[in-house]
Amino acid sequence: MRDKLLFALGAFAIILLTRNIYVISGLPQEASQGAIFKIIFFHVPMAITALTCALVAFVASVLFLVTKNFVWDAAAVAVTEVGLAFLAGNLITGSIWGRIIWGIWWTWDARLTSALVCWLLYAGYLMLRRAIEEPTQRATFAAVFSIFAFIDVPIVIFSIKWWRTQHPQPVFWAGGSFPKDWSAVMGWNLLAIMALCAVMAAVRLRQEEAQREIDSLRRMAHAL
Amino acid sequence: MYALLLQTAEDVTRELVRLQRNYEFLSYGLIIAWVILVIYVLMMVQRERKLKREIASLKAMLEDRK
Repeated sequence: MRDKLLFALGAFAIILLTRNIYVISGLPQEASQGAIFKIIFFHVPMAITALTCALVAFVASVLFLVTKNFVWDAAAVAVTEVGLAFLAGNLITGSIWGRIIWGIWWTWDARLTSALVCWLLYAGYLMLRRAIEEPTQRATFAAVFSIFAFIDVPIVIFSIKWWRTQHPQPVFWAGGSFPKDWSAVMGWNLLAIMALCAVMAAVRLRQEEAQREIDSLRRMAHAL
Repeated sequence: MYALLLQTAEDVTRELVRLQRNYEFLSYGLIIAWVILVIYVLMMVQRERKLKREIASLKAMLEDRK
């Protein structure tokens, strides 16, 4: 049943993504930026998806520390790993847009730097997990680290408001003026990317469950 | 379209080069973003296979010991 649901959600995400790519390719070019502007339809949903993953990881980490239930630890690691892949996509699409519009691949402004720090923090979270053998200690340290890493998420979001940055100001909030019909396309693409992320996180969660099963089988093998 | 409004042939050529570069970089951006995700999915598939193999071998070992 769970497999069928995942398969259906995955198929829905891929069909919706294909439809969105077709719609986006048919949209007119932006007046001053040209075709490269269309990268925003992937850049922004990838960022929202990655930061939503960070939020879920934060909640799961808090719940693990409160309940000591390993399901929450598995959920935290699953969403963190998938979110990291989407954040990498976001950073790369942004860099390619910057090369055309700014003439540079990278600049150390507040938004870009805080997003890179966010990526490095969550990569550090995954490395920390590999470094600790004992499962309870690993899950506890990782949960504390994940809560600490989440501090960077509001900084990433509001950096363009708090500091003067080269990164553009928000187009969807704080007085942004993204065209309404384009916002609908953006919404559909966000839905598709979120669905894809949910499928990937669910598969990764299942793998964590399998890993726990392996750990318990190993303990049994040692006991025999 | 904007190229038609420009005045010299040099401007038209420059605009066409800009458009070409724009599309080129758009496609690079999208291809790289999706390639990252595809690589990650392939890594997950590989990990899934490894986990299944490991579970099967551990279960077989436990059966033998019993």
